[in-house]
Amino acid sequence: MTRFWRSHSSGLVTFLLLLPALAGFFGLFFYPMLLTVILSFRPEGEIAGWTLENYTRFLADPDGSWVILLTFLLALGSTALSVLLSVPLSLILREKVRGHQFYRLMVLVPLVVPGLIGALGLLLFWGPRGWFNLFLLQFVPFVTQPVAVNYTLHGLTFFYVWLYFPYTCVTTLSALEALDPAIEEAGAVAGATRWQVLRHIVLPLITPGILAGSVLTFMAAFGAFSVPLIAGGNYRPLAVEIYKQIAVPIPARWSAASAIAIIMGILQVGFLALYMRLVRRGGGSARAVR
Amino acid sequence: MSEGMIEFREVTKRYGGLVANDRLSLTIRRGELMTLLGPSGCGKTTALRCLTGYIRPDAGRILIDGKDVTDLPTHQRELGMVFQNFALFPHMHVWDNVGFPLMIRGAPKAERARLVAEALRLVRLEGYEQHYPRQLSGGQQQRVGLARALVYRPKVLLLDEPLSNLDAKLREEMRFEIKEVVTRLEITAMYVTHDQAEALALSDRVAIMNRGRLEQLGTPEEIYEQPQSRFVAEFIGLSNFLEGFVQALQDDRMIVQAQHLRLSVAALPRVTPGQKVLLFLRPNEIEIQPRRDPAAANSFEARVEKATYLGDTMDYRLTLGQGLDLRVQTDARHRHSPGVSVWLHLPRVRSWIAEQQ
Amino acid sequence: MSLARVYWRGLWSGRLVLGYTLLLSLTLFILAPFLMITLRSVGKGWFGRLWFPPQLTLDWYRWAIEVGNIPEVMKNTLIIGVIAVAVSTVIGIFAGWAFGRRQMPGKELLMAVVLLPRMIPPITYALGVAKIFYTLELVDTYLGVALAHVSVCAPYAILVLSATFEGLDERVLEAAGVCGANTIKRFVYVVLPLIMPGILASMIFSFTHSYNEFTLTLLTYGPHTVTLPVRTYLAVGDGYWEITSAMAVIMVLPSLLILAMIQRRAKPERLVGGLKGV
Repeated sequence: MTRFWRSHSSGLVTFLLLLPALAGFFGLFFYPMLLTVILSFRPEGEIAGWTLENYTRFLADPDGSWVILLTFLLALGSTALSVLLSVPLSLILREKVRGHQFYRLMVLVPLVVPGLIGALGLLLFWGPRGWFNLFLLQFVPFVTQPVAVNYTLHGLTFFYVWLYFPYTCVTTLSALEALDPAIEEAGAVAGATRWQVLRHIVLPLITPGILAGSVLTFMAAFGAFSVPLIAGGNYRPLAVEIYKQIAVPIPARWSAASAIAIIMGILQVGFLALYMRLVRRGGGSARAVR
Repeated sequence: MSEGMIEFREVTKRYGGLVANDRLSLTIRRGELMTLLGPSGCGKTTALRCLTGYIRPDAGRILIDGKDVTDLPTHQRELGMVFQNFALFPHMHVWDNVGFPLMIRGAPKAERARLVAEALRLVRLEGYEQHYPRQLSGGQQQRVGLARALVYRPKVLLLDEPLSNLDAKLREEMRFEIKEVVTRLEITAMYVTHDQAEALALSDRVAIMNRGRLEQLGTPEEIYEQPQSRFVAEFIGLSNFLEGFVQALQDDRMIVQAQHLRLSVAALPRVTPGQKVLLFLRPNEIEIQPRRDPAAANSFEARVEKATYLGDTMDYRLTLGQGLDLRVQTDARHRHSPGVSVWLHLPRVRSWIAEQQ
Repeated sequence: MSLARVYWRGLWSGRLVLGYTLLLSLTLFILAPFLMITLRSVGKGWFGRLWFPPQLTLDWYRWAIEVGNIPEVMKNTLIIGVIAVAVSTVIGIFAGWAFGRRQMPGKELLMAVVLLPRMIPPITYALGVAKIFYTLELVDTYLGVALAHVSVCAPYAILVLSATFEGLDERVLEAAGVCGANTIKRFVYVVLPLIMPGILASMIFSFTHSYNEFTLTLLTYGPHTVTLPVRTYLAVGDGYWEITSAMAVIMVLPSLLILAMIQRRAKPERLVGGLKGV
């Protein structure tokens, strides 16, 4: 007994230390996920039996595939816009203009604020009585009616951008600051204007960083819940659809919700794997060679 | 009227309270390789960066081939530059790296191919066109950097401590290669380093800098044999210093009394008796003799305090009494042990007027 | 020169102005929602097309507190937060100690696994959690909601505390031992003070996450465990923007304060892409 203890004690102690974390992980994540998987294959409302109808019903139904398409569109659109916003922004922030620390802080604000609050404020700002429309009505000549932004598809995309562009921006800025300045100097001495240095040297080198950041934004936008819940109007992306399946019908449709949840989970894990691949691959070439 | 290829006219650059370049004036002649040499912080790198245009001087003008480029942006100055950490573009292979200056200038593909091939041949890297910088050794990367700097045959080549990131043996090899290439192409080059051996080996002329100012400008021989200030004397090679007073003048020589020693030294212009002078001797110019040589001037008795064997040389610390110590280096054929009395012969003694030091 | 070129040149030479314009627009873009919420929460008689409310009032806050039940909601939020932080910190200390100071095979993989709940949208596993809680009768209990929060808070706690423990220099402990301190004294006088900042940081992070947590709460709450986020959401459904704004302000103030505090110390970039390491 003592021999066992002596040779395995270190491992046992480590295991004991990890026990609370493992228990938490299993009880609050792994087992629930397992349950969700099982539920997804259960006929609605029953406690036994296996079926694929939850999946088939969702995927075959035009409404179901619309939900997936919608989620993709929102995520892709907001990611593309985020990149368009983040790249110039990062290039400016890199220059250490006056007050750049303040602006960097600004970029982080959407990250720490709960989506609910952000969505609320955005609804107020872009609404018919909000400042955006007030500005249009008072200062832009040919606008006589408030422009609808809230509860529209493009509006929702803007909201996503507000919430999730910081992921792209921060990653891009990091990639920019990791560049060896001597490389840009070499480009300038070789005859390249600042624009040419940007185009031929800087941008290619930070592209892996931009990509990694945009995958983060995409993942966040894809899984968005609280924002489309209150600001989506009739548009229900995946997360909201899952919730609606158990919140609206009576009795709650757990199996249907589970199937959608599993589909969403698989897709998210796929994106996560993509992110890991990009991070691993991009990490090497962007840094200056010694 | 400028006859030089590169000219600094009273270039001044300040960083807050620190003066990095203090009214620096320098002319580098066509086809010459000049080295800016000095300790860190002396302003040599600042001067180089003023020349590239990366830094704007606070005052003064910079001319390249007679043209005032002070207000010209970097990319229009038509320079070639080799960097300390190579600064190769990591995302491009060697061919693209070397061809970059040509691509930027819109050269047609055929011409680019020809010039890149020539450049690679010049640095002996044919066959490496498709390699990426991370696949190359330090020496190879530096050669790619050199090829990139020379590919469009600029009039001026700048080298910013290009060999400091290489190991010692490689440094010596690359020194020859760089010198050979620069000579062959008849390019004017400005070289920046803190390594005096490099400076002496490579340069046509050396500019020694200290705290933003030019201390001395001359050929390697001039710098080594006739240092004009204590700083230069200390920076290049080894040195011994003695303080003394001029006792008398005899033709072209002066008699200097340094404590209990009377030395006969080549006379300084405009020197008067009673003036304080600083004497300077190189350790390898002092001879050690076992006996006094009555015919030689400047012969003194000394005792060996320390003797260090360095393989090809012996390094001695000797004392001449009354706190006067000298460092002497001789070849290792004759060795003297500590405690032994010897006679030192000082054939070459240089001097400066002390107030200047 | 073509028109496009002229345009481009103009843009490039005006880049300083353009840059600042972009930065200021960004600031407006980010802050405008908060400004609107704040103004709505104190505006009286703000109908029609006005930039600012004609009168200021605290009525809405008063309503939120007296009729909207905010004090009780706040109480719920805080109690749940405290429980969640306590559980997460305990998990974090033990697991952090294991990750930071002990050998184990596949440490990187385990770390990735621990962070998995944060990489997947909570709704996916919240369903399962809700189902389990219904069976265990944990729905609408402080413990239940707090445990749901732990799945969000614990990964960050582990991340922070692993780094803290890893940073504990073995040699300092050795020096203390050489100076004559036994295990308990070493722990009290050396280990504890050194890990205290890490523990505090992890507690602040965990509390912030629990305080703001919405999705999981939405699926596990009941009439006795309404938290601030849920209450604000319910207010949106009611349609009174003013009340909702007041609750939102109450809700968001701590987060902004904490951001202001930590931006001086920690590198906020760490918050992003957690899998790349602390």
